[in-house]
Amino acid sequence: MLSFALKNMAVKKVQVILVVVSIVISAGVAVLAYNTANQVRDGITNTAGWYSAIIGPTGSKTQLAMNTMYFTDDPLGTIPYSVVTELQRDSRVKRVIPYAMADNYNGYRVVGTTSEYLESKKVALGSMFDDSGVYEVVLGAGVAKVCDVTVGDDIFTSHSAGEEHTQPLKVVGVLEETHSVYDRVVFTQLKTIWEIHEHEHEEGEEEHEEEHEHGEMGNMVCAAVVTTQNPAYAMTLVNDYNGKIISDEDGDSFTLQAIEPMDTVRSILEEADSTKYIVYVLCAIILIMNVMVISIITLLNMYNSAKEISLMRLIGISMKKINLLYILQNGIIGIISVILAFAVSKACLVFMDGYASSMGVVLDTAKVYPAEWAILALVFAIAVLPTVVCTFVMARRDGIEE
Amino acid sequence: MITVKGVSKTFRNETALDYKDLEFETGKSYMLLGASGCGKSTLLNMIAGILSPDKGEISIDGRAMSSASQKEKDKFRIEKIGFIFQDFKLINEMTVADNINILRLEGVDTSGMDELLERLGISDKKNKKVKHLSGGQKQRVAIVRALVKSPEIILADEPTGNLNYAIGEQVIKELTQAAAGKTLIAVTHDERLRPYFDCVIDMNDVTGTPYDVAGGKAVD
Repeated sequence: MLSFALKNMAVKKVQVILVVVSIVISAGVAVLAYNTANQVRDGITNTAGWYSAIIGPTGSKTQLAMNTMYFTDDPLGTIPYSVVTELQRDSRVKRVIPYAMADNYNGYRVVGTTSEYLESKKVALGSMFDDSGVYEVVLGAGVAKVCDVTVGDDIFTSHSAGEEHTQPLKVVGVLEETHSVYDRVVFTQLKTIWEIHEHEHEEGEEEHEEEHEHGEMGNMVCAAVVTTQNPAYAMTLVNDYNGKIISDEDGDSFTLQAIEPMDTVRSILEEADSTKYIVYVLCAIILIMNVMVISIITLLNMYNSAKEISLMRLIGISMKKINLLYILQNGIIGIISVILAFAVSKACLVFMDGYASSMGVVLDTAKVYPAEWAILALVFAIAVLPTVVCTFVMARRDGIEE
Repeated sequence: MITVKGVSKTFRNETALDYKDLEFETGKSYMLLGASGCGKSTLLNMIAGILSPDKGEISIDGRAMSSASQKEKDKFRIEKIGFIFQDFKLINEMTVADNINILRLEGVDTSGMDELLERLGISDKKNKKVKHLSGGQKQRVAIVRALVKSPEIILADEPTGNLNYAIGEQVIKELTQAAAGKTLIAVTHDERLRPYFDCVIDMNDVTGTPYDVAGGKAVD
């Protein structure tokens, strides 16, 4: 029967190809849309998962998370560096990275931190800045390219108001292009941020406004990014630091805010991101169209096959065998289509990886969500079901008596 | 032995055919003559279990066909009957071999196909698509398909209807030779083919259908 089914399909190769192409396109798009949307979503959440907690000034949780991890929006303000040293002494803490955002270079944000903040990034040219040094910068690939700056050059950063600092910063390295926000940021030692602002403060009164704008940057940071020894410690750490009031050397009080970045980002996505629902609706529309297209093609095929079926009945082939033959044929078409749809969706995922990385997300082509199998199984059912229905109807009518 | 007893069949257009009782002996060849509409093809289809009589009974070797289920009729048709259709009933897009091997779907042994194709002179067409064959060649393929399963009964509905006399005569000659020892019932209009059959039945007499000899058609 398999041999005859294959021969019969070869005879109707144009129809078979049309059905396969229609299934591959619709199922491929549905699977790809679902996979990409979920991987981007998971990727954004997972990026947040690199850190156990972020501790900064009070204000919007979203702003603190987005500014510290994705360099968007302005910092909420500053907190004393003593928070960082206190965290370093905390036995629950594995690592603390200070984070300060101030000034810009040709519109690109300048971030003062330690080299640990960039440990997952590769340096394409030169080297990473020396944590014990000062006035050294490592540029994101996009900054170096657009501003035509390379290792060994001096750059001058500016206040947000546009006034240029007089202290030159030496470019010691350029990061490898990541197609992410890191390409558009200038990184330097935390000390550089402090020194520039200290230097400017000594130079004149005009600095006064800037200090108010950014807060007092000397021995201040915008946030402390924390990784705990154990993920379970994150919650207690956040509980301990959230709302905690500390004082700096001058006796000024600061109220801290502590967040678990993964939870914050996840809640942002759940509250604001309608992509998931759009993808589900799109998948549903595609699958409904798939049902209609495949049903119509199957019905037309079966209509065209009516003569062939009648012929087989006349020479004594039972309706049961005819049903099995057509179900087998459509089953083969369904399996081939589903395999191709899966392969096509994965191939497209490779191409889409470049675009997704601009959001800081690397798409995993090997990643398959259980729902994808469900979609493919549904598509397979859609490919076979109309035939089963048609043959069932024909079997009931049996149409041999003309 | 095939017996037809008290059979009548009415069609949707209200044409009614009442058959006189008939008997077809095993191993003999019969020629059914008669005009279109006199019930020749209907009789073949009823014997094959494709149509059911409205009244009466057709039995084969004592087994009543009318009481058999469709499944039993299908089984009987695939195992015992070789049916040659006037319009061949072949799948044009498939090869000769595939058209014959289609019977394998029901487990029929088609190993005798090559020998039959050879005997009927179309062995070189085995892998040709049916659409590329002439009418005579198609008819031979239909004969091979009917005979390959070594049926006990061969029913041929106007096997020469689409062929000119010379080719038709050749086909009948080959068919009767190939069907030697089996029960062969062939429908034809052509009285010139009488010598190839053991018995000739005028279906106009059987169903009482008036026969317009000049026009060659049944008249109401």
